[in-house]
Amino acid sequence: MSKITLDLFRFDPAVDDEPHRERVDIDFPDTQTVLDALEYAKAEVDGSISFRRSCRSAICGSCSMNINGTTGLACKTPVSQVLKSDNSVAVDPMPNFQPMKDLVVHMDPFWDKYSRLKPYLQPADKDSDHERERRVSPEDMKKLVAVANCVMCATCYALCPVVSVDPAFAGPAAIAYAYRFIEDVRDAKRSERTAQIADDYLWLCAHCYACSYCPKHVDPHDDIIAVKRAAIEEGQIDGRGPRHALVIAKTIKATGMLHETEVIQGTVGRFNIRGLVKVAPFGIRLALAGKIPPLFLKPVPKVDEIRTIFDTLEAPVLS
Amino acid sequence: MHYAMGGIETDKFGATRIPGVYAAGEVACVSVHGANRLGGNSLLETIVFGARSAKHAVQYIKSVGSVRQSERTLKSEQDRINGILARKGGERHSAVRKKMNAVMSDNVFIFRKEDELTRAVEGLREVREAAKTMTVMDKSKTFNTDLVGLLETEFLVDVAQPIALGALNRTESRGAQARVDYPERDDEKWLVHSLMHYTGEDPRPDYTRKVTFTKYKPEVRSY
Repeated sequence: MSKITLDLFRFDPAVDDEPHRERVDIDFPDTQTVLDALEYAKAEVDGSISFRRSCRSAICGSCSMNINGTTGLACKTPVSQVLKSDNSVAVDPMPNFQPMKDLVVHMDPFWDKYSRLKPYLQPADKDSDHERERRVSPEDMKKLVAVANCVMCATCYALCPVVSVDPAFAGPAAIAYAYRFIEDVRDAKRSERTAQIADDYLWLCAHCYACSYCPKHVDPHDDIIAVKRAAIEEGQIDGRGPRHALVIAKTIKATGMLHETEVIQGTVGRFNIRGLVKVAPFGIRLALAGKIPPLFLKPVPKVDEIRTIFDTLEAPVLS
Repeated sequence: MHYAMGGIETDKFGATRIPGVYAAGEVACVSVHGANRLGGNSLLETIVFGARSAKHAVQYIKSVGSVRQSERTLKSEQDRINGILARKGGERHSAVRKKMNAVMSDNVFIFRKEDELTRAVEGLREVREAAKTMTVMDKSKTFNTDLVGLLETEFLVDVAQPIALGALNRTESRGAQARVDYPERDDEKWLVHSLMHYTGEDPRPDYTRKVTFTKYKPEVRSY
């Protein structure tokens, strides 16, 4: 047994105008998890400490919270791993969510985005769905195994900096789940699904890899790339996001370098005068800072080798 | 514990003896697993009986037409919850839960015998008594997990008593029931379901429902 202090975010909307912090001292073995420590504090010290939990073994995804400034499942985090030098652990609700009470947050935005995906199989022959099995080869199933481990704990959503600045963004978990159906050979709604997730700002993902920290090793970031690729394959390239990706690939394939002038034109649209006028101040600031992108770029030597990479990867490129 | 073998008695459509009340999942007992569920077979609950219950329930709802909501039932439930929140003096529910856990872990574990099971049945009566006055610290009406914990403890006592009494009465070993004082399976006496009814304080055992066999018959496990 050792003495540890839980440094808790406390908030009860019925009595508190503002959240406050409370330090709860407990005699508790640091070999156990942060969730165990919270359960102990709730059972022995203060029954009003509120948090979500169910399975206590990283299967249900209920207990994601912020532990010493980083988000993860409390049931999967040993106290010893996060104990500060003063033997305390700071526990807060997940960021990117509205706190409801103590460590419990309002999950509605997360579930709304999830339910908009229609997160169920939509096969072509829906009416006869009880007549026979729909079989998937082990090879086709491989793509879905990792994402099938997602427990919807929302850790990735809480960690996503794009969600923090633009709450309309679907967030990593929803896009990973879209991938789960987009890549399912039994599903018949591939293009509807890629279009829907693009409507939920798929292309806002900045590829920062924050969501690669996943308690279940789903790594939604890889799935986001795959969904963007699928959207392009479905011909959904009429938008700033896909145009931006494609024109970057195009200039690199053509010259071996990122041709910024062309990337801006390609993203905004060459004939979109209003759009181009809008980005003009950005160009002027660049010029004033002495960063004038050249209007024309000469291909680098051996550009053929770079083009070979594109061809080998069969990467989509704006034509 | 890994899995609750047993639960609310249902037919193969998930319907219970109370019209309109359905049970599916680990809470239910469709009696497909026999005396011990084999690994991986809870899939039956997740992908078969959930859907069957839902379909049957939809038919049931159509057959009864519109239902008037009962203000009196609603009021009595509100009073019950408010009564729990206002309770003073009794033990905290977490303490009662701990006692119940100890009774079950000490006496109704993997290998069972008469004297321990008798102790469990008696110990659980005391737990039930303590459960009547147990209290919460959280009086809030927002996401009150303390209250949920108390209600869970009440239900767990409802489940623990039939488990202990069923294990005591069943003087044989079968499936997950391993009696050190009755190591053999007794098909003469115990090819029956252990049903329990709550009509008073203690569960009332009912062994009138026989086990019927179709394709597979129970055999001695000899491997």
